[in-house]
Amino acid sequence: MLRQVWLVPALPLAGFVVCLFAGTRLGRYAGWLASALVVASFGIGLGVFSDLVSLPDASRHVVRHLYEWIAVGGFRVAVDLRVDPLSMTMALVVTGVGAIIHVYSIGYMDGDPRYGRFFAYMNLFVFFMLTLVLAENFLLLYVGWEGVGLCSYLLIGFWHERPAAASAAKKAFVVTRIGDTFMLVGIALIFLRLGSLDFTAVLRIPCGPGQHCPPAITTDTGVSTVIALLLFAGAIGKSAQVPLHVWLPDAMEGPTPVSALIHAATMVTAGVYLVARTHVLFEVSGVALTVVLVVGLVTALYAATVALAQDDFKRVLAWSTISQLGFMFTALGLRAYWAAIFLLVTHAFYKALLFLSAGSVMHALDGETDLKKMGGLRRTMPITAVVCSIGALALAGIPPFAGFFSKDDVLAVANQSGHALAWLIALVAAFFSALYMARLVFLAFFGEERTERYAHEAPPVMTVPLGLLAVGAAFGGFLGANETRGLLQTFLAPVLGKVREPTQGLSGPALALISVGVAALAIAVGWLVYGSGRIDWVALRVRLSSLHRFLARGWYVDDAYAAVLVSPAKAGSAFLAYVVDARLVDGLVNASGQLVRWLASVGRRVQTGFVRNYALAILLGALVLLVYVGLRI
Amino acid sequence: MAADWIVFWVCAPISIGSAIAMLLQRNAVHAALFLIVNLFTVAVLYLVLGAPFLFAVQIIVYAGAIMVLFLFVIMLLGVDREERLVERLRGQRTAAILLGLGVVGEVVFAIRAGVGFSTRAPAGFGAANGGGNPQALGRLLFRAYFLPFEVTSILLMVAAVAAMVLARRRERPVASAERRAQEPIEPSEPSEPSEPREEEPVG
Amino acid sequence: MRTPIAYFLVASAALFTIGSVGVLVRRNALVIFMSVELQLNAVNLALVAFSRMHGSLDGQVLAFFSMVVAAAEVVVGLAIIVSVYRRRRSADVDDVNLLKW
Repeated sequence: MLRQVWLVPALPLAGFVVCLFAGTRLGRYAGWLASALVVASFGIGLGVFSDLVSLPDASRHVVRHLYEWIAVGGFRVAVDLRVDPLSMTMALVVTGVGAIIHVYSIGYMDGDPRYGRFFAYMNLFVFFMLTLVLAENFLLLYVGWEGVGLCSYLLIGFWHERPAAASAAKKAFVVTRIGDTFMLVGIALIFLRLGSLDFTAVLRIPCGPGQHCPPAITTDTGVSTVIALLLFAGAIGKSAQVPLHVWLPDAMEGPTPVSALIHAATMVTAGVYLVARTHVLFEVSGVALTVVLVVGLVTALYAATVALAQDDFKRVLAWSTISQLGFMFTALGLRAYWAAIFLLVTHAFYKALLFLSAGSVMHALDGETDLKKMGGLRRTMPITAVVCSIGALALAGIPPFAGFFSKDDVLAVANQSGHALAWLIALVAAFFSALYMARLVFLAFFGEERTERYAHEAPPVMTVPLGLLAVGAAFGGFLGANETRGLLQTFLAPVLGKVREPTQGLSGPALALISVGVAALAIAVGWLVYGSGRIDWVALRVRLSSLHRFLARGWYVDDAYAAVLVSPAKAGSAFLAYVVDARLVDGLVNASGQLVRWLASVGRRVQTGFVRNYALAILLGALVLLVYVGLRI
Repeated sequence: MAADWIVFWVCAPISIGSAIAMLLQRNAVHAALFLIVNLFTVAVLYLVLGAPFLFAVQIIVYAGAIMVLFLFVIMLLGVDREERLVERLRGQRTAAILLGLGVVGEVVFAIRAGVGFSTRAPAGFGAANGGGNPQALGRLLFRAYFLPFEVTSILLMVAAVAAMVLARRRERPVASAERRAQEPIEPSEPSEPSEPREEEPVG
Repeated sequence: MRTPIAYFLVASAALFTIGSVGVLVRRNALVIFMSVELQLNAVNLALVAFSRMHGSLDGQVLAFFSMVVAAAEVVVGLAIIVSVYRRRRSADVDDVNLLKW
C-alpha cells in the first residue's frame, strides 16, 4: 500500500472536481459521494499505516516521488509525499475525523441550496490538508498551507449573503496571510541558506531513533533562529495564537461542520504540525523554543479567560480551541513534541465532538447559539447532551476521558522539566478550561428551559457521527496513556524523539492527582454558579459587568487592533483613494488631457485655410532643408 | 565677344524683367502676355545651350498651346476683373520676399560651391548631339526612356479625362436622378408611426 | 561657348524665385498658376544647362518630361479653377479657405 499513498489526497481531489461540476445534478448524493471518498481515503491511509508499522523502526520513512514540479537551475522541487509516523498520524486524523464530519454534514447541510458546492469545498479542504501533512518539502507544504487557507475562506463565507460571514471570511484570510507571508520568507531563507527545500535534506532526517538529529545549520544559531521564528509566525497565524488569534472567533460564522473540521480538528493544528515537523530548527535556535513556549502559555491562559465570558455556544468553543492550541504550543516549547501531537489527536476528537454537538443544538433550535436562551436541553436532546458532556469532560481533563491523558502529559512535562512557572500558568489555564466547559454544559443542557422553541433530537446521520466521535473522545486517551506504554509516543519516536524520563519535579501520579483535582474543583465551581440554581449568575454578571465585558470582548484586543491598525489603515486608504488618487493621479491624467486640448486649441490656428500660407510653409521647409543639406556638404 | 555671350546678356535680362513685370500686373491678361515674353526668351536660352528641339517644343507647346489655354480661361472667367493688390494676410508679402531672397542666396551659394562661376561647358557636346539634336533625343526617348515616355502618355490622357470631369457643368436632371438613386428605397409603413425619421427636404 | 554655365543657373534661380514670390503674394488663382509655370520653366532651364555642362542629353530628356507634366498639370489646374469659379463666383484663392479649424 505504501506506493498507493498518492490515492490518499487524490480521492478527495476527485470528489472536489465531481462535486464542483456535477454538484447540483448529484443532489443529495453529492454528500454521500464526498463522504465515501474521504472514508476510502481513510481506508487507504490505514493500509499505508499498517505497511509503515510493519517496517522496522529505523526505516519508517518513505518518500514517494510523484513527479518533478519545478526545476530551475539548482532550484529543484518535486511533488513528493512523505510517509512517516508523524505524517501518517496527521493524515489519519484528517481523514478519520474528516470522514465523520462529512457524514454528519449530510444531515446538517440538508436543504441548503448550495449543498453540492459545500461538499466540493470540504473535499478540496481535505485534499489540501493532506497535501500539507504529506508534503516532503516546504514548498509543497506551503501549497497545502495556502490551500487550506483558501478553503477556510470559502467555507467561513459559505453563507456569504450574511454580511457577518463575508467579513469574517475576509478577516480570517487577511489575518492568516500576515503569518503566511512571514512563513514564505522563512521558506525562501531556508532555500537561500541550505540550497534545498526537502525535509530530508534540511532537517537531516532520518537519523537514528531517539538520537538528537542535527540539522544542516547547526553552526549558525542566528540563521536558524530567524528561520524558526519566521516559520513560527506562519504557525501563529494559522493556529490562531496571540497576537493573530482574532480571526478564529469570527470564523464561527461558517457552517458548524466547517468549524468542527477546519477550525477545531485539522487546519488550525497545522501550525502545531509545522513546528513539530521542523522542531530540529527550533532546537538549534533555543531562543525560538522559548518564544513558542511563551506564546503558547499566554494564549492558553488568555483564551481560557475569554471563553469564560462568551454567551455564544460556538464562540466558547472557538476560544477554547485557541486555548487548547496554546497548550499544544506550550508542549512544543517544552520540547515535548509527542505530547503536543498527542494533545492534537485527542483534541481533534473531543473538539470536533463538541462542535458537532453545538451543530446538533443549533439544528434543533433553528440556528440559535445564545447560551442564555438554552437550558434544560438534556430532556429533549438526550444523545446530544450525553456526547457533549463526554466532550466537555474530556476537555476538562477528567479521567478516563481522552483529554485527561493528553493535558496531563503537557502539565507533567512542564513540571518535570523544571518550568515551575509554566506549570502554574498551565494549571490555571486548565482550571479555567474546566470551568468554561462546565458553564457551557450546565447552561445549555441543565437547569430550566429558557427557550420557547420545540427542540428535537437530530437524525441518525448526525447522531451516529456524534457517537463515533464520543467513543474517540472517551477512549482516545489510551493511545498515549502510560498504562498502554505510550503507543502513540513510541510510534512517533523515530520523528519526534523518545519520551524523556523525568529527572526532577513531582512524580507522575502526584501531578495527575493535582490536575484532576483542579479540574474537579473547576467543575464544582461551575455547578455551583450555573448548575445548582443557588447563585443568580445573571445578577452576578451585572455586578461584575465591567470585568465581564472586558473578558467577553477578548480583552479588547480586537478593538485595539481596530483602533491602532485598521482605522489608520482605512484612513490612509481613504486618503490615498480620495486625495492622492482622485486628486493627484486623476489630476495628472486629466491635466495631460487638458494640456493636449489646450495645445490643440492653440496649434489648430496654424490651419488658416489660406492656401498661400501653406505655400509659405512649404517654401520655408524647402529652405530649411536646403540649409541643412548645404551645411552637411 | 562670342555670339552666345551677346544672346545671353540680351535674353536673360528680358526674361527676368518680363517675369517681374508679370508679377506686378493687376490685369491677368497682361500678366499672361508678359509670361509669353518670358517663355520666348527662355526658349532662346535653350537654343544657346544646344537644345533646338526643346526650343521648338517650348514655343509650340508652352508659348503657344498652354498660354492660349490660359488666355481662354481668363476670358471665360471675365477679363474685366482686376485683382486688388492689397495684401490681406499680415506679413505674407514680407515673408515671401524674404524667403525669395533666401532662395536666391541659397542657390547662388550652391552654384558657387557645386559648379563654380568660371566653369564653361565642355566642347564634346557635338558627339552627344550626333546626327542632329532631335534625332539624338528621339533615340534616347524611344530606347532608354521608353517606359517613362509611355507613362507620360497615360498621364496626359488621365489629365484630359480629369479636366473633363472637373469642368463639366452638372446638369440638374442628372443630379436629381443621382440623388434619388442614393435615397433608401422604403415603402412608407404606417404601422410604425413612432419611429422618428430624419426630415429630408423634398426636392 | 564662352558664357559660363553658372550664369544660366543664376538666371534660372532668379526666375524660380520670382515664380515663388508670385505664388506667395498674388491672390488671383490664374496668376498663381502662371507663377507656377514660371517656376517650372526656371527648373527646365537649369536642367538644360546641366545637360550642356555634362555633355549628355539626359537633362534635356528630363526637361521634356517636365514639360509634359506641366502641360497635364495646367489642364487639371485650370479645370479646378473653372469649377471653383462656378461655385463661388471668384478666382481669388483667399476666398477658398474652408479647410481650416
